[in-house]
Amino acid sequence: MRDAADSVRPKKTPENSAAEREEIISTERSFKKEVQSLRLGAGEIFRGEGILAVTKALLQSGVSYVGGYQGAPVSHLVDVLVDSQDMLDELGIHLETCANEASAAALLAASINYPLRGCVTWKSIVGTNVASDALSNLASAGVTGGALIVVGEDYGEGASVIQERSHAFAVKSSVWLLDPRPNLPSIVRMTEKAFELSEASNTPVMLELRIRACHVQGEFVATDNVAPKFSRRHMLDGPVPQNYDRISHPPSTFKQEKQKFEVRLPAARKFIVEQALNEFFDGEQNNVGIILQGGLYNAVLRAMNRCGLADAFGRSRVPLMVLNVTHPLVPEQITQFCAGKDAVLLIEEGQPDFLEQSISTILRKADIPTRLVGKDVLPMAGEYTAEVITEGLLKFIEAYAPSFDVAGAGRHLARIREGRTGAQQTLGELPQRPPNFCTGCPERPVFTAIKLVQRETGPTHIATDIGCHSFATFPPFSLGNSILGYGMSLASAPAVGAMMEKRPIAVMGDGGFWHNGLVSGVSSALFNRGDGVLVILQNGYTSATGAQFLPNSKGNRKDGDSTSDIETTLRAMGVKWLRKIDTYALPKMMKTLREAMTTSEKGLKVVIGDGECQLARQRRIRPQIAAQLKRGERVVRTRFGVDDKTCTGDHACIRLSACPSLTLQPNPDPLKSDPVAHVNNDCVGCGLCGEVAHAAVLCPSFYRAEIVLNPRWYDRALATLRNGVIAMLQPKSRTPLPVVAE
Amino acid sequence: MTAQRPLTILIAALGGEGGGVLADWIVQAAQAEDFPVQATSVPGVAQRTGATTYYIEIFPEKRATLGEQQPIFALLPTPGDVDVMLASELLEAGRAAFNGFVTPDRTLLIASTHRVFAVAEKTAMGDGRYDPARLLDTVQARAAEHVLIDMQALAQTTGAPLNAVLLGALAGTAKLPIAREAFVNAIRAEGKSVDANLAGFEAGIQALSTPPSIAGIARPVAASDFDDTARPIIELGVARLLDYQNPAYAQLYLDRLQRVRDVERTAGGDGSLLREAARQLALRMAFEDVIRVAQFKIEPGRFERVRHEVRADPDAPLVVIDYFKPGIEELCSLLPGALARPILRLSEKRGWLGKVYVGMHVRSNSVFGFLRLRLLSSLRWLRPRSHRYAQEQALIETWLSAVERATAVDRALAREIVDLARLIKGYGDTHARGVRSFTRIMQAIVVPALAGTMPASVAIDALANARVAALADPEGNRLDESLASIAAAAPVQAKAAE
Repeated sequence: MRDAADSVRPKKTPENSAAEREEIISTERSFKKEVQSLRLGAGEIFRGEGILAVTKALLQSGVSYVGGYQGAPVSHLVDVLVDSQDMLDELGIHLETCANEASAAALLAASINYPLRGCVTWKSIVGTNVASDALSNLASAGVTGGALIVVGEDYGEGASVIQERSHAFAVKSSVWLLDPRPNLPSIVRMTEKAFELSEASNTPVMLELRIRACHVQGEFVATDNVAPKFSRRHMLDGPVPQNYDRISHPPSTFKQEKQKFEVRLPAARKFIVEQALNEFFDGEQNNVGIILQGGLYNAVLRAMNRCGLADAFGRSRVPLMVLNVTHPLVPEQITQFCAGKDAVLLIEEGQPDFLEQSISTILRKADIPTRLVGKDVLPMAGEYTAEVITEGLLKFIEAYAPSFDVAGAGRHLARIREGRTGAQQTLGELPQRPPNFCTGCPERPVFTAIKLVQRETGPTHIATDIGCHSFATFPPFSLGNSILGYGMSLASAPAVGAMMEKRPIAVMGDGGFWHNGLVSGVSSALFNRGDGVLVILQNGYTSATGAQFLPNSKGNRKDGDSTSDIETTLRAMGVKWLRKIDTYALPKMMKTLREAMTTSEKGLKVVIGDGECQLARQRRIRPQIAAQLKRGERVVRTRFGVDDKTCTGDHACIRLSACPSLTLQPNPDPLKSDPVAHVNNDCVGCGLCGEVAHAAVLCPSFYRAEIVLNPRWYDRALATLRNGVIAMLQPKSRTPLPVVAE
Repeated sequence: MTAQRPLTILIAALGGEGGGVLADWIVQAAQAEDFPVQATSVPGVAQRTGATTYYIEIFPEKRATLGEQQPIFALLPTPGDVDVMLASELLEAGRAAFNGFVTPDRTLLIASTHRVFAVAEKTAMGDGRYDPARLLDTVQARAAEHVLIDMQALAQTTGAPLNAVLLGALAGTAKLPIAREAFVNAIRAEGKSVDANLAGFEAGIQALSTPPSIAGIARPVAASDFDDTARPIIELGVARLLDYQNPAYAQLYLDRLQRVRDVERTAGGDGSLLREAARQLALRMAFEDVIRVAQFKIEPGRFERVRHEVRADPDAPLVVIDYFKPGIEELCSLLPGALARPILRLSEKRGWLGKVYVGMHVRSNSVFGFLRLRLLSSLRWLRPRSHRYAQEQALIETWLSAVERATAVDRALAREIVDLARLIKGYGDTHARGVRSFTRIMQAIVVPALAGTMPASVAIDALANARVAALADPEGNRLDESLASIAAAAPVQAKAAE
């Protein structure tokens, strides 16, 4: 079956069957194809992304329940689970698509009292922050069944969140942290071992996967899926008798804290050693060694290869200790590895340097004089690419293993950098390409409206949020003064609002609203009789993470009905001033915003900008239109365009929109040099161009073209009449007379 | 003997261009040929039209011969370590060079030379496009070998996606140890739009058989590109004004130019001032008003042009709707000064200016829509009697006489004043803003320079700075700063010049 609606080419041809069209109802990418590989049995080769390999490993581990909240780089884990509902049902596995990470973490409570293996997933660090209350309670109580949290470590190139380490949560809550080598066999093995480790030490386990590890394409040899002992098909007998020791409540909490260090930690360390979760690789040069996080293994080996310290297959000339478990460390393993060496290089990405501090303490307490080198030759912050590691490695080798000749590698690195600097000087500053609203995005017009209203009313403080709409912080809108987290915009505005005349505007997506904004923002604002303005962009999906369903979505993964409505919810909560506006109706939106900003009515003012995510909409309507055309039905196609002769090349229209399909082309007028605006064929006919030109009184260059497909007789008759009249009355084309002065 | 290192391929694409599919094709083909392969990417939110990359490593030795050995693949590209750089667009090829991923010792660069403009380039008030020649020169200098073709054009002519053309070009170079057939099979196995993808793949291969050329790439036309003689520009100007108004108006153009030519000759100029003045004067005299817009909207060929642009079939009924929103100023601009001035005065007093508009959506190729525009465009005879005409001619005369007087002082100064005309263009807000900037710069710099209170050398720099500042932001903040710094420096300079 080959109907995966690919994210980049959502084209659907009329040949698609009705059944296939029905399937394109949710998520940007469908995983129907990948789901098939989740059924592979023992000995078969699984090929696919890292995050899908994790999913297969869960099924091979006999997991009873799964859940999570979407977010790059682990969105696919949730998406693929949704798409594999049939198989989950066969195995009796419960799937919960959680409202936020806190509810995902709380789901793991099932493993506290019962021998159930469970796994949840979210984007870290932000998701872990949201989950941390439930996570602390879970970790304190401890677990009976294996509890696994798969976190997408959104750090380095391509990351979309604040740069912090999940490691901190593992340390402070006593949750074990796995950081496997980034190849599929290692990731799968560590996922399976995570459940065993969790059960052996009664502790939840986090598996950390960096962005590229989630998306790495590779293969591993599958084993059979295991039906869980207890499941929806084979239920538990009933609740266990109350055991107060399992409740995170005093006095148990005092006992639990002691247990963490007296019982669970030693048990975990014993398991780590027995199961050889950390890996050791020999090398000829025994006076030095390298300790590294498992996730950095491939980058470190590439750097070593460039320095002549390892071959292409990982045979190293320097002994390596690969920490597939970064918390807890096993002191005996550390001392054994370091003893007798002059120096050890620790390669630990990100800050603070948790591992360096811990290992220093371990060595100091064991009176081992080995020199620990780490952040002194490597940068404290930022992603550890092979280039960064090479630089640190060269310094380390030059100082502690001068018998290796790395001078050539050093010269090579210098030459590469020199060449790059040269190219940078020649090119100067290149135009950046941050993410932008998609062509026809329903959120763009709202920011056009805010920008135009600000021209009249002066600037306002804008508290913005997480979601596609945060792209408005980039030019040309450059709207937004702060981001405080997902669903936190309204909560971040009251103190600002209290200190200035003009009301601040808080912007929030419907994703953020259900995730946190409903309580942290709206409820708090109402309770405090706040006077702010909240703009909710209701596009019907969590679009930034791949168009997953929300409570207010038109569809639902279970029964196809939406469960909640934002307007009803807000009214029930006590919001009095509420307007719901079609986002493309620019003048109406401007009028409403003006009113919200200036009305004497006190209290929270909510403007719901209503417009379906255009990506989702196009995916939905394209097959419909294709089918209509095929049936011979009359269809009017709308598109916008720019008359290049009337365009002045001022580009004010682009400054108020930046639609990807509104671009430039050379000026056709030989007397003019500024490029003119141009609408390319990606235009979906949303109409914002025309509305902007109209509302901002820009210029008369925009036109809308309506093309009648499968025209009826009256369409043809009217066209004939019009063409006839025009042909008769149109001024004749002038042939200009070349006249020259003299 | 085993190979020492993997072959590395980095793909730079924009979100939505199919870079992921391209990476998949390469991975599939490598797997089919039994080479160990790994691909990674950082999709994230970059899929929303941002720049993104995909990275592939292929170990160029069959698994059968490697036995138990597993190559260790990197997940990130390393500067200096890229064998093949594929870029779907020219700026992204430049960015790859900027980031060190195109190096002269090993990188084959395969890139499409078309441009997809970044937001910063599009939002400039004049021409903000990054110089494509600079990108081309740099990437060619940095690459060991390069294939630079306008693959978007190829994609459009073959009706294929761009990523298939890129794959064809990659296959055509035979840089990877993968047979063409394996790529074709990968496209077939993927199963979506197979025919179109194969057509693009073939086009990519074919493009390589003709030697790579950059000759077809348009470079922006600069004023200095014009011939020695001003004649071609003047001919264009005359034709423009005949179309715009009438022969008398074209004659006025020539008379005005003669003045410039004469002063320039006297000052010993080389004709460059005349050429630029001819260009700017034609544009200034053909100022845009509602009559002109109506004329453009119904001119012969326009509806066919639209039909072509929106890709409508020749016989599909097509309606073209134009957006007009004339304000009081636009409407008054048609009236004689004696009528327009009191209305404008009243409107200003009441605060109607910039607030009261008549919004119209005109179906320009419907019978009545067309007739309305036809009627409006026939009002050209009214133009010379209109308020706007008088205003524009006064502005033109001020500008032109400043040019004349400046030529006698310093030809470079005159040239700067000629260029000032560029600030005035367009309609509505854009036009008003331009006139405001122009007038302020004239007052602050040109008047003192002609009066001798500001040295010409200072004025020349100040004019160049002010003109750039005026185009920097619509709010005019940069122009404020620029003029303030000139005002602050003026007394000092005057003193120094004494």
